[in-house]
Amino acid sequence: MTAACIFMGGCSGGNGYFDEPVSKSDFLMDTYMTVTVYNGSSSAPEKALSRAGELEKKWSVTDSSSEIYAADHSGGKPVTLSEDTADLVSFALSMNEKTDGALDISLYPVLREWGFTTGEYRVPEDSRITELLESVGCEKLSLDGRDITVPDGMSIDLGSVGKGRAGDEMIKTLKENGVTSAMLDLGGNIQLLGSKPDGSDFRIAVRHPSGEGNLAKVEVSDCAVITSGGYERFFEQDGNIYWHILDPKTGCPAHSGVVSATVIGKSGTLCDALSTSLFVMGTERAADLWRASDDFDYILVTDDGRAVITEGIENSFTLYDEFSSMTVEVVRREK
Amino acid sequence: MKNKNTAAAVVIAAAAVILLSSIAAVVISRRKPAGSTVEIISDGKVICTLDLSSEPDREITVEYKGRKNIIAIENGDIYMKEAECPDHTCMKTGRLSEAGVPIVCLPNHLIIRYKNGGGDTDAAA
Repeated sequence: MTAACIFMGGCSGGNGYFDEPVSKSDFLMDTYMTVTVYNGSSSAPEKALSRAGELEKKWSVTDSSSEIYAADHSGGKPVTLSEDTADLVSFALSMNEKTDGALDISLYPVLREWGFTTGEYRVPEDSRITELLESVGCEKLSLDGRDITVPDGMSIDLGSVGKGRAGDEMIKTLKENGVTSAMLDLGGNIQLLGSKPDGSDFRIAVRHPSGEGNLAKVEVSDCAVITSGGYERFFEQDGNIYWHILDPKTGCPAHSGVVSATVIGKSGTLCDALSTSLFVMGTERAADLWRASDDFDYILVTDDGRAVITEGIENSFTLYDEFSSMTVEVVRREK
Repeated sequence: MKNKNTAAAVVIAAAAVILLSSIAAVVISRRKPAGSTVEIISDGKVICTLDLSSEPDREITVEYKGRKNIIAIENGDIYMKEAECPDHTCMKTGRLSEAGVPIVCLPNHLIIRYKNGGGDTDAAA
């Protein structure tokens, strides 16, 4: 793996912050990751990326030496996972219950059939999807401590939660290296440590669902801002657009009315899982889940041109001028 | 660790850019207004820095492991016109927007991004 080291400075000023931020990038987890730190050890970005590299080795679906590959090719026998992997699988299984199946790490064979894992896109026959869905479902998996059993014919992948967890682990590494102000850009998953050196919030743009340009911005600190949108990976066939976020119940691209879901909260792992889940669940179920929780906010953009946001983010959310006529609906704790 | 093939690919890519962008040196040496400077990064190395506010319409070809990407500059916009990669996600990204979202061709390790983030935001999600 080639590390792209782009130092933009590094001398520490009198206040403990670098005169210029130190930034480092690498291709990891099927994305381009950039770590920027404003103080602490100048080697912290490299260490954070190396932690992401460690996790990628454990979680890759295609690397025959990974733990996930071992579980997927075990022929139904138990496989002992590392603590990193077992913790994340356990979290994903709990999210499967919490989202009533909207997040499902066992959907991988269906995703592969559509070609979203390779870029060789195709629309599968209905009968093939039905057949594959018979081998999908988290209730068929068993996790006993660190021992996982993936039944023969099933496969799991941690793509819907892995980058978020990697971000949380990278933030831990940065903290261990004296960093209190940093920004991680993990291919559009943004994770922030502290605020900017002048104490102000980071300004994070929310992409327009078309994928071109930005719809809004949020001003936030010390949290993750993670978006799932159809624009990230899709193909067009016979005038129809097929995107990579599938509804586990149908095995087809999710059409809940939500075309982009941004989740903001302290835990990158949770925000990553929820951005996919809320896209699948739609606005009503998303609001129900939010009211039953206290650890995230969201911005949902709908196919009829509305932005639905939760009240926790109301004061830090601004639409760009060209979208200022868009309807913004605020979801509140009390209906 | 960089192997010899990768190093050779970077050299070829850099050479291709130099050949196809005869005025690049002039552009790079100009003083650039904040926010409009774009970097093209091939396999981790910045191979080209452009000021889109004064860049003429042209195409830049970058090669990585024998696979080509054609980057187009038109009326001050930059986008991926062609890409020898399986998914063409980079082409679907469209024109580089001013606030944070880079154009990324993962299979060919090619990034087009604003040098200082661009626009009025620090990043885009």
